Amino acid sequence: MKAVLNSQPNQVGIKRGKLFLLRIKRDALLYALLLLPIAYIAIFKYAPIYGLIMAFQDYNIFEGIRGSEWVGLDVFRFIFEQDSFYRALKNTLVLNVLDLIAGFPAPILLAILLNEVGQARFKKITQTVLYLPHFMSWVIIGGIVYLMFSNSGMVNHFIAALGLEKIEFLSQKVPWLITYIFVGVWQNIGWGTIIYLAAITGINKELYEASDMDGCSRLRKMWHITLPGIKPTINILLILQIGRMVSIGFDRPFVMGNSLVSEYSDVISTFVYRVGISSGDFSQATAVGLFQSVVGLTLLIGANYIAKKLGEDGIW
Amino acid sequence: MHKNYSVDNLNNQGNERVVNVSTGIKKTAAILFSMTLLAGVAAGCGGNGNKSGETSSSEGSTTASGAPAGAPATLTVEVFDRGVQGQPDLNNNKWTQYVNEKFGKPNNAVVEFVPVPRSQEVDKLNVLMAANQAPDISFTYDGTLVTRFAKSKGLYTLDELLEQHGQQLKAYLGENVLSYGKYDGKQVSIPGKRTLLAWNGMFIRKDWLDKLGLPLPTNRDELYETLVAFRDKNPGNVDGVIPWATAAAGMNYTFGNLVQSFWKPLSEEEFVTTPNWLKPGNKEAYQWLNKLYNEKLISPDFALDKTTKQADADVTNGKVGFYAANWDYPMTQKIRVPLKQNSPEANYVPIDTFKNDEGKYLKEVYNENGIFSFIPKSSKNAELAIKYLNWMADPEVMFFLQFGDEGVNHKLVDGIPHGIEQSGEKMQMSNLNMDYTMIVNGAELGDTEKNVRTYAAALAAGDKSYEKLAIDSYAINTTDGYSSYNYGIPNEANIKYGKTLGDMNKQMIDRLIVAKPAEFDALYEKLVKEYMDAGGKAVQEENVKNYRESKAAQK
Repeated sequence: MKAVLNSQPNQVGIKRGKLFLLRIKRDALLYALLLLPIAYIAIFKYAPIYGLIMAFQDYNIFEGIRGSEWVGLDVFRFIFEQDSFYRALKNTLVLNVLDLIAGFPAPILLAILLNEVGQARFKKITQTVLYLPHFMSWVIIGGIVYLMFSNSGMVNHFIAALGLEKIEFLSQKVPWLITYIFVGVWQNIGWGTIIYLAAITGINKELYEASDMDGCSRLRKMWHITLPGIKPTINILLILQIGRMVSIGFDRPFVMGNSLVSEYSDVISTFVYRVGISSGDFSQATAVGLFQSVVGLTLLIGANYIAKKLGEDGIW
Repeated sequence: MHKNYSVDNLNNQGNERVVNVSTGIKKTAAILFSMTLLAGVAAGCGGNGNKSGETSSSEGSTTASGAPAGAPATLTVEVFDRGVQGQPDLNNNKWTQYVNEKFGKPNNAVVEFVPVPRSQEVDKLNVLMAANQAPDISFTYDGTLVTRFAKSKGLYTLDELLEQHGQQLKAYLGENVLSYGKYDGKQVSIPGKRTLLAWNGMFIRKDWLDKLGLPLPTNRDELYETLVAFRDKNPGNVDGVIPWATAAAGMNYTFGNLVQSFWKPLSEEEFVTTPNWLKPGNKEAYQWLNKLYNEKLISPDFALDKTTKQADADVTNGKVGFYAANWDYPMTQKIRVPLKQNSPEANYVPIDTFKNDEGKYLKEVYNENGIFSFIPKSSKNAELAIKYLNWMADPEVMFFLQFGDEGVNHKLVDGIPHGIEQSGEKMQMSNLNMDYTMIVNGAELGDTEKNVRTYAAALAAGDKSYEKLAIDSYAINTTDGYSSYNYGIPNEANIKYGKTLGDMNKQMIDRLIVAKPAEFDALYEKLVKEYMDAGGKAVQEENVKNYRESKAAQK
């Protein structure tokens, strides 16, 4: 668009405004189509921002936002005095960092491996099988995990049959963390792979042919062509992931957690659920949500800044 | 990127031409379409605005409608959706038809029932109240929640309405029951009347005891010996015998009154106001359970069993020697039916086995109140709502709602109505229709023994062998009972911290029992300190203050 405007340097401001209207008129149908997504964003993403006011009020559900009493930063003070909040924050970060370390490289590796598979049919089937768990509800996965990993579960039956000591996968700190991360990777690996496979498809085939001529080994090709080829995609996904560091899904920790590991499984989302919905303290829940968003935004901007400094494409 | 843009531009122009050629109809249609969308959005917002407008105006005038002339008023009433297999439409069945016929018509009203999922009762109610969409008659078992709503001025005060339209209801419930629904001296909710007060019960496999030649245990040590025998001798010859079955704390499964049996005597004030975790003897109780767990006498995965599915399966598969749960748990359909199928020889009998140093079987029983019904401020039918509850207190109405028609829903056996299982629209979705009869909890025939027998007959669908179990269990589980103290003054700290403390409570129980014996002492100290710091101390202090105030008021 910009290029078009610049190509007509002689036109002045008034004409430019006219051109703008003209363009709207010309593409009216497309703009009309755009209305629906815009309405969606406005209603579900922007309008609720109004509710953030609750974080600074002693919110009374019967008085609403306009009638509730203002309390300044009292709600935040109350939250920051609670040990359970810090525990939830710490757990969120720990689980997310572990997830990032284990879960982020996994789909990249898998995508590269799948890309090397010659037989198209096998490749397709594998891919489908691998991403099916993504569509399973966490409640179902929780049931499977319980059947597999509880003290009287399948895995422990095998361990016992081998004469070894049972592993308390779901009730001890470290085994629980490993199980939690492992199940997460299992669920998401296939889904992430799709994006990387798409990026790999975009790599110029001539590069591979040229390297074949030069007698490159497979590993060399992966390292020098495939990986650099999908580097921008990796970057963007990494930045986005870092931006989500302080937020965490609700279902996974809620379903996988139990009272024995609550010291590690209570995260911000379950904290918000408990104080907000279960205890009806909407002010506290909003304040925690706001805190979460602010930290998330800071991390996102930080990661983007660093990426750009390192000479990579940022997300803006 | 730039390349893509220019391609798009080209395409746009191409489309443009096509549109121009094929008349402007499409364009107009698209614009109309998007306008309609926007209008819909605007209308949605407007609708909300109106709603809150109506609400605030209705706050001024306490009463509305109820007059027999004109368009009928719609009275909305909450009902629990328990997701019972084969249940009819909760808003159109034998019971709702009766209500609309007998109450709706004479009062020119339509009674509409609003289903709320049983397991998310509190969450859903919070949301409905916040959105000003709660039914005219809403209810909850959570007393703190009612207090919180009352404190936020979200509820009608009912004293005058009760005086004018609720005499029959007042007489039925009585002063004591109504006192549980007061806040700041005002009636803010109508508690149901609980006809049966037993809470927990303990059950042991009599057939196993007989096989081993053991008597019924009468104290902790005897129970311990029995459990060890169950574990070592496996009298039922089952795969993976579980001497004592339980599930994660906070659900139906409990440890009966074991903990109470360890408590040392306290003055009334101390007993009432001290958190259980600080009562002398409490620690020893959990240490004892910890020992049992580590000796593999308690379900190995109980803390992971958040839904009690595993414990239920173990009990009904005949693997369990002893368990503690609600006093009526063995009679419930989900236990009774599969147990009979999988393990017909199993014979669970109620026992009392946790004796304290004074020789008493101290145990907590329910207060006389049941579910709390209230009228949210947003309601426009407060008068009608009270009239409805008042109408229900009529013995004839209540009998019909609890037992239905003779010959269809029940048959009379020795003067006791025995339920006949029904399906479809004549079915009862909850025990004795308690979700439709919020002013009563348990059978109401005006006499405790009759009530117990009726209740048993209802639960066990007329199976006579359960009648004795019910009578015994009720007698045992109301012996040496105490109920929680009614301060009559809300505890602000409890409103603020209650939910967190409740959650901590459950986690503490599970963690202490599963802990390694060597780490138990340190863990107990640590957890109790955390509990007190997280609000337990504040609640205790306010309890002491409120207790003294309420005692002073009584003098």
